[in-house]
Amino acid sequence: MDERALNTALVGALLAVLILGAAIGPFALSPARIAAVLTGDRSDSQAVTVLLNIRLPRVLAAAIVGAALAAAGAAYQTTFRNPLVSPDILGVSAGAGFGAVLGLLLGLPVVAIQMLGFGMGLLTVALVIALTLALRGAGQVLIMVLCGIAIGALAGAGISLVKLLADPEQQLPAITFWLMGSLAGVKRADLAAALPALLIGLAPLLALRWRIGLLAMGDDEARAMGVDAGRLRLLVIACATLMTAAAVAMAGVIGWVGLMVPHMARLLTGPRFDRMLPAAILIGAGFMVLVDTAARTVATLEVPLGILTAVLGAPIFVLLLARGARPWSE
Amino acid sequence: MFQLTRPLTRRALCAALLALAALPAAAQTRIVTDDTGREIALPENPARVFAAGPPAATLLYTLKPQAMVGWVSAPDPEDRPWLRPETAELPGLGRLTGRGDTLNLEVLLAADPDLIVDYGTVNPTYTDLAHRIQEQAGLPYVLIDGSFARLPRGIRAMADLLAVPERGEELAAYAEATLAEVDAILATIPEDQRPTVYLARGREGLETPARGSINAEIIERVGARNVAEAETRGLATVSPEQVQAWAPEVIITIDADFAANVAGMPEWQGVPAVDNGRVHLAPAVPFGFIDAPPSVNRLIGLKWLMHKLYPTAVQGDLRAEVADFYELFYGVRPDEAGLKALLGG
Amino acid sequence: MERMTPLIETRGLTIGHNRKPLIGGIDLRLCRGQVLCLLGPNGAGKTTLFRTLLGLIPPVGGEVALLGQPLSALSRTDIARRLGHVPQALATPFAFSALDIVLMGASARLGPFARPGKPERARAMAALARLGIADLAQAEITRLSGGQRQLVLIARALAQDAAAIVMDEPTASLDFANRLQVACAIRALADAGTAIVLSTHDPDQAARLGDAAILLNRDGVIATGPIQETLTEARLTRLYRVPVTRSLGTDGRMHFH
Repeated sequence: MDERALNTALVGALLAVLILGAAIGPFALSPARIAAVLTGDRSDSQAVTVLLNIRLPRVLAAAIVGAALAAAGAAYQTTFRNPLVSPDILGVSAGAGFGAVLGLLLGLPVVAIQMLGFGMGLLTVALVIALTLALRGAGQVLIMVLCGIAIGALAGAGISLVKLLADPEQQLPAITFWLMGSLAGVKRADLAAALPALLIGLAPLLALRWRIGLLAMGDDEARAMGVDAGRLRLLVIACATLMTAAAVAMAGVIGWVGLMVPHMARLLTGPRFDRMLPAAILIGAGFMVLVDTAARTVATLEVPLGILTAVLGAPIFVLLLARGARPWSE
Repeated sequence: MFQLTRPLTRRALCAALLALAALPAAAQTRIVTDDTGREIALPENPARVFAAGPPAATLLYTLKPQAMVGWVSAPDPEDRPWLRPETAELPGLGRLTGRGDTLNLEVLLAADPDLIVDYGTVNPTYTDLAHRIQEQAGLPYVLIDGSFARLPRGIRAMADLLAVPERGEELAAYAEATLAEVDAILATIPEDQRPTVYLARGREGLETPARGSINAEIIERVGARNVAEAETRGLATVSPEQVQAWAPEVIITIDADFAANVAGMPEWQGVPAVDNGRVHLAPAVPFGFIDAPPSVNRLIGLKWLMHKLYPTAVQGDLRAEVADFYELFYGVRPDEAGLKALLGG
Repeated sequence: MERMTPLIETRGLTIGHNRKPLIGGIDLRLCRGQVLCLLGPNGAGKTTLFRTLLGLIPPVGGEVALLGQPLSALSRTDIARRLGHVPQALATPFAFSALDIVLMGASARLGPFARPGKPERARAMAALARLGIADLAQAEITRLSGGQRQLVLIARALAQDAAAIVMDEPTASLDFANRLQVACAIRALADAGTAIVLSTHDPDQAARLGDAAILLNRDGVIATGPIQETLTEARLTRLYRVPVTRSLGTDGRMHFH
């Protein structure tokens, strides 16, 4: 499909999903009431509260989280030249998860928990990069990934330690649930906090997406074609980390999206990063809105997003594979 | 089969007891059957008792504080003024039951208990756990059914084990009187005048024990309807939109931050309980009123809830009742300032 | 020809890794339309020399100049505009189309935020057409033969629009037909004016394609010079450390045994 036509179709699909997400929820609101609130009618205060304070922020937050994770995953798969890579590869989720559960353990206010998660996510990746540079492995993707795995394992141990120390009646359920990912408590303020991180991370990736795509050919080739591969990869890592840490701080650890959505996008656009990235962002946002709509409607209790992304995502993914489309070499 | 082996088991136990009795240091022992149906030999008058989990620790504290070898987790600084001084400084040894065992058996043995008591759910998992620890540690491990409905019986059974039957009778009588009083008041209140209740936990108030969970038992016991009917019988996380849809008339919370902030939280506006100022923070020191732990401490929670849910139907001075309960059960009578800190206002 | 600015020139170049010299005294001079063949056993430093010429690793000593300008003074983009690169093989896990790969060659002449547009696409198609594989533009590279992939990589170097191209064993691991096809394409490029440095294990091919040769082994530079004078029996015997004989075919070309 033509690039522009595809992106138009994906934007249309995302809008449809956003409308669907805004229309469905446990609090029954008729389309007429929703339309009235959205067109500025403030007479029905409960409908206003449900729609403007609860449902819409949450739908938009889901879109942001999905877009961030998908973009980070797409960028990582290309720059690390590995279709199995997810945004967690350098330990950002484990680090952010550790920060947030530490905040939960210490009983900090929610904003502080989110900041601690965000900060620890950034710190973890910074540590991985520093370690890689210290080992003179800057040009070697493998060393960087191994450092990421090592630091990520430390953060994972930290999470286990926090779980051990947590009060099993009150804190442990909260920690466990947080680690499975949820947007149940999202507020407009959270949205305002996460949006800049998303935009700051996304803008360079979009602007430089052609050059970033060259990293898929390997460092030497990319450099021979005029791209400063080492520096560009560090920029990609910084952007992807910023977005992922913001997403994890707001929504908890949500797996699968960052791994799977880039593959879905690649099936539609082919492997060229400059075409795949916008598609991945749009698909990621739409997919996450769908998943979160399911999370808040399939049951009375909130179903963790981490469970749903896998339950919904894995069959779709296998179906795509079964249809024989494999946009990577074997 | 059971009938046939039973005398054999008894005979074996008697033999073991005789052997024990022959040891100069061995205390007098007796045989009891706990709620798992196991027959267990325990000291005549247990002097050093370990509680396997928080509900057991609370019950042990109210019945025989002098026999405690430690807490499950050390009391928080804000709990200490409400505890008998000799127990407030006891160490936290860890828990044996439920999620996340944190107790090293060697720590347990180093505390040198002569009995392990547990108070809570009786099911094959906990029965097996009790059996295994008893085998491994060589200490009697007794499990008493901790269900709310059988609270007076649980108090008496535990008191019997601990060889403090008079104390047990005193507390069990209080429990029976409280439950009877609740039932008498509820008999005068028609179903449709009993409020719907949402039990909020966590800073955001979005964790809630669903209907049927042990953490929400007390809500049903006072005749209110827990709105959280979910797919679990445990702790559920729900969205604020779900709470809006439930529209509870009363919110009971155990989180002080949530109680303080909920009136200003935009996503809670329109919930009847918030609009009408019927959000109540349950006191939590030294033990919770609602659960935390689900033990005898819930008796005062019953009275408190009756006052909060049926302000017109319930007579009596809540402050005096709280002070009496604390003195009787916890051995510490709160003064005016203490009551104000506890109950607010 | 001698008076033209050489496209690639090295003076007293010493190559190596991490400042440890591997081979010293490399003096190259390559002008428009010339093919320089690099011969030597594996591990002699051919790839290291290429990476040094491309500025991927710094020289241990001496100097490299591209179009008269010292390499050390050139940015990555400047180098890419002067010198193209054809790697031994593609190393990407993704199934790009041939056209995708060739378009990448345009990057050095695009702004940092630009994506290739119509002109770049036209140039890429022209490069593919020039190598006779325009019909493969939309084919996935994973489905192409080894020779076709090599041609795609050469097309990419063409699309890079550089005056000189270095090729790391462009015909290694190709079957006979593919090898012939790629060799013809290389000669045609040189005849059209591109300067080419290539490494090969095949002295016959060097004799057929090359204007000049440089012989490298672990001892260093064995010889440099015009192809006829450099590819002698004695020098090749010294280079490969096995007896080599040279014969002249009926077509007047050199053959080695």
